[in-house]
Amino acid sequence: MIDEAKEDRRAEGDPFFPHHMLEQGMVIFIVLGVLVLLVMMWPAPMEPPADPFNTPEHIKPEWYFLSAYQGLKVAEYFAFLGDWAPKVLGILGQGVGILLLILLPFLDRNPERHPRKRRFVIGVGILVIIMLAALTIWGKLS
Amino acid sequence: MIDLEKKEDEQQKQTVEQRSGLRELFELFSLTGFVYGPLDSRLNIREALEKNLKKPVPPHVNWLFCFGGISLFLFTIQAVTGILLLMYYRPTIAEAYKSVVYITNSVPFGWLIRGLHHWGANLMIVMVFLHMLRVFFYGAYKPPRDFNWVTGVMLLVLTLGFGFTGYLLPWNQISYWATTVGTEVPGAVPFIGTYLTALIRGGQAIGQTTLTRFFAIHVVILPLTIGFFLLGHFFMIRKQGISGPF
Repeated sequence: MIDEAKEDRRAEGDPFFPHHMLEQGMVIFIVLGVLVLLVMMWPAPMEPPADPFNTPEHIKPEWYFLSAYQGLKVAEYFAFLGDWAPKVLGILGQGVGILLLILLPFLDRNPERHPRKRRFVIGVGILVIIMLAALTIWGKLS
Repeated sequence: MIDLEKKEDEQQKQTVEQRSGLRELFELFSLTGFVYGPLDSRLNIREALEKNLKKPVPPHVNWLFCFGGISLFLFTIQAVTGILLLMYYRPTIAEAYKSVVYITNSVPFGWLIRGLHHWGANLMIVMVFLHMLRVFFYGAYKPPRDFNWVTGVMLLVLTLGFGFTGYLLPWNQISYWATTVGTEVPGAVPFIGTYLTALIRGGQAIGQTTLTRFFAIHVVILPLTIGFFLLGHFFMIRKQGISGPF
Protein backbone atom coordinates (compact mmCIF):
# COMPACT_ATOMS: atom_id res chain seq x y z
CA MET A 1 0.00 0.00 0.00
CA ILE A 2 2.66 2.44 1.07
CA ASP A 3 4.79 1.58 -1.94
CA GLU A 4 1.87 2.16 -4.24
CA ALA A 5 1.24 5.56 -2.72
CA LYS A 6 4.92 6.40 -3.14
CA GLU A 7 4.86 5.29 -6.77
CA ASP A 8 1.80 7.43 -7.39
CA ARG A 9 3.50 10.42 -5.89
CA ARG A 10 6.61 9.87 -7.99
CA ALA A 11 4.55 9.74 -11.14
CA GLU A 12 2.49 12.79 -10.33
CA GLY A 13 4.97 14.73 -8.23
CA ASP A 14 4.73 16.15 -4.73
CA PRO A 15 1.78 18.39 -3.92
CA PHE A 16 2.45 22.11 -4.08
CA PHE A 17 1.66 22.50 -0.39
CA PRO A 18 3.63 21.92 1.75
CA HIS A 19 6.52 20.31 -0.20
CA HIS A 20 7.06 22.79 -2.98
CA MET A 21 6.00 25.80 -0.93
CA LEU A 22 8.68 24.95 1.67
CA GLU A 23 11.36 24.81 -1.03
CA GLN A 24 10.20 28.10 -2.52
CA GLY A 25 10.16 29.64 0.95
CA MET A 26 13.76 28.57 1.49
CA VAL A 27 14.83 30.01 -1.87
CA ILE A 28 13.05 33.29 -1.11
CA PHE A 29 14.75 33.60 2.28
CA ILE A 30 18.14 32.95 0.65
CA VAL A 31 17.44 35.69 -1.92
CA LEU A 32 16.34 38.08 0.83
CA GLY A 33 19.52 37.26 2.77
CA VAL A 34 21.69 37.91 -0.29
CA LEU A 35 19.88 41.22 -0.90
CA VAL A 36 20.35 42.47 2.67
CA LEU A 37 23.99 41.35 2.60
CA LEU A 38 24.57 43.29 -0.65
CA VAL A 39 22.93 46.41 0.83
CA MET A 40 25.07 46.23 3.95
CA MET A 41 28.36 45.47 2.19
CA TRP A 42 27.86 47.82 -0.78
CA PRO A 43 25.27 50.52 0.04
CA ALA A 44 23.44 52.24 -2.83
CA PRO A 45 25.98 54.75 -4.21
CA MET A 46 25.56 58.47 -3.51
CA GLU A 47 26.85 60.27 -6.59
CA PRO A 48 27.36 64.07 -6.81
CA PRO A 49 24.18 66.01 -7.73
CA ALA A 50 23.28 66.57 -11.40
CA ASP A 51 25.07 69.50 -13.03
CA PRO A 52 23.92 70.31 -16.60
CA PHE A 53 26.99 72.54 -17.14
CA ASN A 54 29.58 69.95 -16.20
CA THR A 55 29.81 66.96 -18.57
CA PRO A 56 31.68 64.01 -17.02
CA GLU A 57 34.45 62.45 -19.13
CA HIS A 58 33.14 58.91 -19.30
CA ILE A 59 29.39 58.51 -19.48
CA LYS A 60 28.34 54.92 -19.33
CA PRO A 61 24.91 53.41 -18.72
CA GLU A 62 24.07 50.74 -16.14
CA TRP A 63 25.60 47.32 -16.77
CA TYR A 64 22.39 45.92 -18.27
CA PHE A 65 22.41 48.57 -21.01
CA LEU A 66 26.15 48.27 -21.68
CA SER A 67 25.74 45.70 -24.48
CA ALA A 68 23.18 47.91 -26.26
CA TYR A 69 25.45 50.93 -25.75
CA GLN A 70 28.50 49.13 -27.12
CA GLY A 71 26.36 47.77 -29.98
CA LEU A 72 25.59 51.34 -31.05
CA LYS A 73 29.31 52.12 -30.94
CA VAL A 74 30.11 49.09 -33.10
CA ALA A 75 27.53 50.36 -35.62
CA GLU A 76 29.79 53.40 -36.08
CA TYR A 77 32.16 51.17 -38.08
CA PHE A 78 29.54 51.31 -40.84
CA ALA A 79 30.17 55.04 -41.33
CA PHE A 80 31.66 54.26 -44.78
CA LEU A 81 28.11 53.67 -46.04
CA GLY A 82 27.19 57.27 -45.35
CA ASP A 83 26.45 59.63 -42.51
CA TRP A 84 23.06 58.03 -41.82
CA ALA A 85 24.41 54.48 -41.54
CA PRO A 86 25.87 54.22 -37.99
CA LYS A 87 22.88 55.54 -36.07
CA VAL A 88 20.15 54.00 -38.23
CA LEU A 89 21.85 50.59 -38.43
CA GLY A 90 22.50 50.59 -34.68
CA ILE A 91 18.94 51.32 -33.67
CA LEU A 92 17.54 49.12 -36.46
CA GLY A 93 19.67 46.24 -35.19
CA GLN A 94 18.30 46.61 -31.67
CA GLY A 95 14.69 46.89 -32.86
CA VAL A 96 15.06 43.82 -35.08
CA GLY A 97 16.75 41.97 -32.20
CA ILE A 98 13.79 42.53 -29.85
CA LEU A 99 11.33 41.69 -32.64
CA LEU A 100 13.14 38.40 -33.32
CA LEU A 101 13.08 37.60 -29.60
CA ILE A 102 9.30 38.17 -29.48
CA LEU A 103 8.76 36.09 -32.61
CA LEU A 104 11.08 33.24 -31.56
CA PRO A 105 8.29 30.65 -30.96
CA PHE A 106 6.79 31.45 -34.38
CA LEU A 107 10.10 31.31 -36.23
CA ASP A 108 11.32 28.11 -34.59
CA ARG A 109 8.70 25.59 -35.77
CA ASN A 110 10.74 22.53 -34.74
CA PRO A 111 8.48 20.56 -32.34
CA GLU A 112 11.47 18.84 -30.64
CA ARG A 113 12.33 20.16 -27.20
CA HIS A 114 15.55 18.37 -26.29
CA PRO A 115 18.57 20.67 -26.85
CA ARG A 116 20.41 17.93 -28.76
CA LYS A 117 17.58 17.67 -31.26
CA ARG A 118 17.53 21.35 -32.14
CA ARG A 119 21.19 22.16 -32.56
CA PHE A 120 20.66 25.17 -34.86
CA VAL A 121 18.47 27.22 -32.50
CA ILE A 122 20.59 26.33 -29.46
CA GLY A 123 23.73 27.26 -31.39
CA VAL A 124 22.30 30.64 -32.39
CA GLY A 125 21.18 31.22 -28.79
CA ILE A 126 24.65 30.47 -27.39
CA LEU A 127 26.21 32.76 -30.04
CA VAL A 128 23.85 35.60 -29.03
CA ILE A 129 24.68 35.10 -25.33
CA ILE A 130 28.44 35.14 -26.07
CA MET A 131 27.97 38.27 -28.20
CA LEU A 132 26.00 40.06 -25.46
CA ALA A 133 28.59 39.09 -22.84
CA ALA A 134 31.45 40.23 -25.08
CA LEU A 135 29.75 43.56 -25.84
CA THR A 136 29.08 44.11 -22.12
CA ILE A 137 32.73 43.43 -21.18
CA TRP A 138 33.96 45.53 -24.11
CA GLY A 139 31.65 48.37 -23.06
CA LYS A 140 32.88 48.10 -19.48
CA LEU A 141 36.56 48.19 -20.47
CA SER A 142 36.40 50.81 -23.24
CA MET B 1 -19.66 1.13 22.30
CA ILE B 2 -17.02 3.47 23.63
CA ASP B 3 -16.72 5.10 20.23
CA LEU B 4 -20.44 5.70 20.08
CA GLU B 5 -20.41 7.29 23.53
CA LYS B 6 -17.53 9.51 22.51
CA LYS B 7 -19.37 10.62 19.42
CA GLU B 8 -22.46 11.45 21.44
CA ASP B 9 -20.32 13.39 23.90
CA GLU B 10 -18.78 15.42 21.09
CA GLN B 11 -22.16 16.11 19.59
CA GLN B 12 -23.41 17.34 22.94
CA LYS B 13 -20.35 19.54 23.35
CA GLN B 14 -20.86 21.00 19.90
CA THR B 15 -24.48 21.77 20.54
CA VAL B 16 -23.59 23.48 23.81
CA GLU B 17 -20.93 25.54 22.05
CA GLN B 18 -23.29 26.36 19.25
CA ARG B 19 -25.96 27.34 21.72
CA SER B 20 -23.55 29.66 23.46
CA GLY B 21 -22.68 31.22 20.12
CA LEU B 22 -19.12 31.73 21.33
CA ARG B 23 -17.60 29.31 18.86
CA GLU B 24 -19.38 30.91 15.94
CA LEU B 25 -18.36 34.33 17.08
CA PHE B 26 -14.75 33.19 17.47
CA GLU B 27 -14.73 31.56 14.06
CA LEU B 28 -16.18 34.64 12.45
CA PHE B 29 -13.47 36.87 13.89
CA SER B 30 -10.60 34.46 13.30
CA LEU B 31 -9.49 34.46 9.70
CA THR B 32 -9.95 30.69 9.14
CA GLY B 33 -13.43 30.81 10.55
CA PHE B 34 -14.39 33.61 8.22
CA VAL B 35 -12.71 32.16 5.16
CA TYR B 36 -14.04 28.64 5.75
CA GLY B 37 -17.42 29.87 7.04
CA PRO B 38 -19.45 32.70 5.52
CA LEU B 39 -16.99 33.34 2.68
CA ASP B 40 -16.77 29.64 1.77
CA SER B 41 -20.53 29.26 1.59
CA ARG B 42 -20.60 32.04 -0.98
CA LEU B 43 -17.38 31.55 -2.97
CA ASN B 44 -16.34 27.89 -2.45
CA ILE B 45 -13.02 29.06 -1.03
CA ARG B 46 -12.17 25.69 0.53
CA GLU B 47 -12.48 23.80 -2.74
CA ALA B 48 -10.43 26.38 -4.65
CA LEU B 49 -7.71 26.45 -1.98
CA GLU B 50 -7.42 22.68 -1.81
CA LYS B 51 -7.36 22.35 -5.57
CA ASN B 52 -4.51 24.85 -5.80
CA LEU B 53 -2.49 23.78 -2.78
CA LYS B 54 -2.67 20.06 -3.49
CA LYS B 55 -1.90 20.41 -7.18
CA PRO B 56 1.12 18.16 -7.76
CA VAL B 57 4.34 19.77 -8.96
CA PRO B 58 5.87 17.48 -11.63
CA PRO B 59 8.97 15.60 -10.44
CA HIS B 60 11.25 16.92 -13.21
CA VAL B 61 11.04 20.42 -11.71
CA ASN B 62 14.54 21.23 -10.44
CA TRP B 63 16.24 24.33 -9.05
CA LEU B 64 16.56 25.84 -12.54
CA PHE B 65 12.80 26.42 -12.46
CA CYS B 66 13.01 28.86 -9.53
CA PHE B 67 14.18 31.98 -11.41
CA GLY B 68 10.66 33.04 -12.45
CA GLY B 69 9.43 32.81 -8.87
CA ILE B 70 12.47 34.76 -7.64
CA SER B 71 11.74 37.44 -10.25
CA LEU B 72 8.19 37.76 -8.90
CA PHE B 73 9.51 37.93 -5.34
CA LEU B 74 11.97 40.67 -6.32
CA PHE B 75 9.14 42.51 -8.10
CA THR B 76 7.14 42.56 -4.85
CA ILE B 77 10.27 43.79 -3.01
CA GLN B 78 10.56 46.58 -5.59
CA ALA B 79 6.86 47.46 -5.23
CA VAL B 80 6.99 47.59 -1.41
CA THR B 81 10.31 49.48 -1.14
CA GLY B 82 9.21 51.75 -4.02
CA ILE B 83 6.02 52.71 -2.17
CA LEU B 84 8.05 53.41 0.98
CA LEU B 85 10.50 55.59 -1.00
CA LEU B 86 7.51 57.48 -2.44
CA MET B 87 6.65 58.65 1.07
CA TYR B 88 9.80 60.84 1.12
CA TYR B 89 10.94 61.31 -2.50
CA ARG B 90 10.16 64.67 -4.15
CA PRO B 91 10.23 64.67 -7.98
CA THR B 92 11.54 68.19 -8.65
CA ILE B 93 14.98 69.11 -9.95
CA ALA B 94 15.54 71.32 -6.90
CA GLU B 95 14.47 68.76 -4.31
CA ALA B 96 14.96 65.29 -5.80
CA TYR B 97 18.64 64.90 -4.89
CA LYS B 98 18.12 66.40 -1.43
CA SER B 99 15.23 64.07 -0.71
CA VAL B 100 17.35 61.05 -1.71
CA VAL B 101 20.12 62.24 0.63
CA TYR B 102 17.49 62.72 3.34
CA ILE B 103 16.10 59.22 2.77
CA THR B 104 19.60 57.73 2.98
CA ASN B 105 20.89 59.64 6.00
CA SER B 106 17.93 60.73 8.12
CA VAL B 107 14.90 58.51 7.56
CA PRO B 108 14.96 55.50 9.93
CA PHE B 109 16.09 52.50 7.86
CA GLY B 110 15.93 54.72 4.79
CA TRP B 111 19.39 53.48 3.75
CA LEU B 112 18.05 49.91 3.90
CA ILE B 113 14.91 50.63 1.87
CA ARG B 114 16.85 52.56 -0.77
CA GLY B 115 19.58 49.90 -0.83
CA LEU B 116 17.01 47.12 -1.26
CA HIS B 117 15.40 49.04 -4.15
CA HIS B 118 18.82 49.60 -5.75
CA TRP B 119 20.08 46.02 -5.43
CA GLY B 120 16.64 44.49 -6.00
CA ALA B 121 16.52 46.21 -9.40
CA ASN B 122 19.92 44.82 -10.42
CA LEU B 123 19.16 41.33 -9.11
CA MET B 124 15.73 41.33 -10.78
CA ILE B 125 17.25 41.91 -14.20
CA VAL B 126 19.70 39.03 -13.57
CA MET B 127 16.86 36.74 -12.51
CA VAL B 128 14.55 37.69 -15.40
CA PHE B 129 17.42 36.97 -17.79
CA LEU B 130 18.23 33.60 -16.17
CA HIS B 131 14.51 32.71 -16.28
CA MET B 132 14.47 33.47 -19.99
CA LEU B 133 17.59 31.36 -20.58
CA ARG B 134 16.02 28.39 -18.74
CA VAL B 135 12.86 28.66 -20.84
CA PHE B 136 14.97 28.94 -24.00
CA PHE B 137 17.20 25.92 -23.35
CA TYR B 138 14.29 23.75 -22.18
CA GLY B 139 12.37 24.67 -25.34
CA ALA B 140 9.48 25.68 -23.08
CA TYR B 141 8.51 28.53 -25.43
CA LYS B 142 7.04 26.14 -27.99
CA PRO B 143 3.28 25.82 -28.54
CA PRO B 144 1.03 25.87 -26.56
CA ARG B 145 3.24 28.23 -24.53
CA ASP B 146 4.23 30.48 -27.45
CA PHE B 147 2.01 33.38 -26.37
CA ASN B 148 3.35 33.14 -22.86
CA TRP B 149 6.86 33.64 -24.31
CA VAL B 150 5.56 36.84 -25.93
CA THR B 151 4.24 38.15 -22.59
CA GLY B 152 7.58 37.13 -21.06
CA VAL B 153 9.57 39.22 -23.56
CA MET B 154 7.20 42.12 -22.86
CA LEU B 155 7.92 41.68 -19.13
CA LEU B 156 11.67 41.78 -19.87
CA VAL B 157 11.26 45.01 -21.87
CA LEU B 158 9.12 46.54 -19.11
CA THR B 159 11.71 45.55 -16.47
CA LEU B 160 14.41 47.30 -18.51
CA GLY B 161 12.05 50.29 -18.81
CA PHE B 162 11.80 50.39 -15.02
CA GLY B 163 15.59 50.38 -14.86
CA PHE B 164 15.93 53.19 -17.42
CA THR B 165 13.30 55.53 -15.92
CA GLY B 166 14.26 54.82 -12.30
CA TYR B 167 17.89 55.65 -13.02
CA LEU B 168 17.11 59.36 -13.58
CA LEU B 169 15.05 59.85 -10.39
CA PRO B 170 17.94 60.43 -7.89
CA TRP B 171 18.95 63.35 -10.17
CA ASN B 172 22.71 62.89 -9.78
CA GLN B 173 25.52 63.39 -12.29
CA ILE B 174 25.56 59.83 -13.64
CA SER B 175 21.79 59.56 -13.90
CA TYR B 176 21.52 62.95 -15.61
CA TRP B 177 24.20 62.30 -18.22
CA ALA B 178 23.39 58.64 -18.78
CA THR B 179 19.79 59.67 -19.47
CA THR B 180 21.02 62.44 -21.81
CA VAL B 181 22.93 59.84 -23.81
CA GLY B 182 20.15 57.24 -23.56
CA THR B 183 17.43 59.57 -24.82
CA GLU B 184 19.60 60.47 -27.82
CA VAL B 185 19.32 56.87 -29.07
CA PRO B 186 15.70 57.08 -30.36
CA GLY B 187 16.82 60.24 -32.18
CA ALA B 188 18.47 57.95 -34.74
CA VAL B 189 15.11 56.58 -35.92
CA PRO B 190 14.60 57.81 -39.50
CA PHE B 191 12.22 60.75 -40.06
CA ILE B 192 10.59 60.87 -36.59
CA GLY B 193 13.78 60.59 -34.51
CA THR B 194 14.06 64.19 -33.32
CA TYR B 195 10.36 64.24 -32.41
CA LEU B 196 10.77 60.99 -30.45
CA THR B 197 13.65 62.40 -28.40
CA ALA B 198 11.68 65.59 -27.71
CA LEU B 199 8.65 63.51 -26.72
CA ILE B 200 10.65 61.39 -24.26
CA ARG B 201 12.48 64.40 -22.80
CA GLY B 202 9.48 66.71 -22.83
CA GLY B 203 11.67 69.36 -24.46
CA GLN B 204 15.07 69.83 -26.05
CA ALA B 205 17.17 69.05 -22.97
CA ILE B 206 16.77 66.98 -19.82
CA GLY B 207 14.95 69.12 -17.26
CA GLN B 208 11.98 69.31 -14.94
CA THR B 209 9.55 67.98 -17.58
CA THR B 210 11.81 64.98 -18.14
CA LEU B 211 11.98 64.24 -14.44
CA THR B 212 8.18 64.56 -14.05
CA ARG B 213 7.66 62.39 -17.12
CA PHE B 214 10.07 59.66 -15.98
CA PHE B 215 8.61 59.77 -12.48
CA ALA B 216 5.07 59.29 -13.82
CA ILE B 217 6.21 56.46 -16.10
CA HIS B 218 8.19 54.79 -13.29
CA VAL B 219 5.54 54.89 -10.56
CA VAL B 220 2.22 54.78 -12.47
CA ILE B 221 2.38 53.77 -16.12
CA LEU B 222 4.93 50.94 -15.90
CA PRO B 223 3.50 49.34 -12.73
CA LEU B 224 0.00 49.26 -14.27
CA THR B 225 1.31 47.85 -17.55
CA ILE B 226 3.54 45.25 -15.92
CA GLY B 227 0.64 44.19 -13.68
CA PHE B 228 -1.44 43.53 -16.76
CA PHE B 229 1.28 41.40 -18.38
CA LEU B 230 2.08 39.61 -15.11
CA LEU B 231 -1.56 38.55 -14.78
CA GLY B 232 -1.53 37.23 -18.34
CA HIS B 233 1.79 35.45 -17.73
CA PHE B 234 0.52 33.70 -14.57
CA PHE B 235 -2.93 32.82 -15.90
CA MET B 236 -1.31 31.13 -18.88
CA ILE B 237 1.16 29.21 -16.66
CA ARG B 238 -1.74 28.09 -14.46
CA LYS B 239 -3.85 27.02 -17.41
CA GLN B 240 -1.12 25.26 -19.42
CA GLY B 241 0.88 23.90 -16.49
CA ILE B 242 4.66 23.76 -16.10
CA SER B 243 6.32 22.49 -19.29
CA GLY B 244 7.09 18.75 -19.21
CA PRO B 245 10.52 17.12 -19.39
CA PHE B 246 12.24 17.23 -22.78
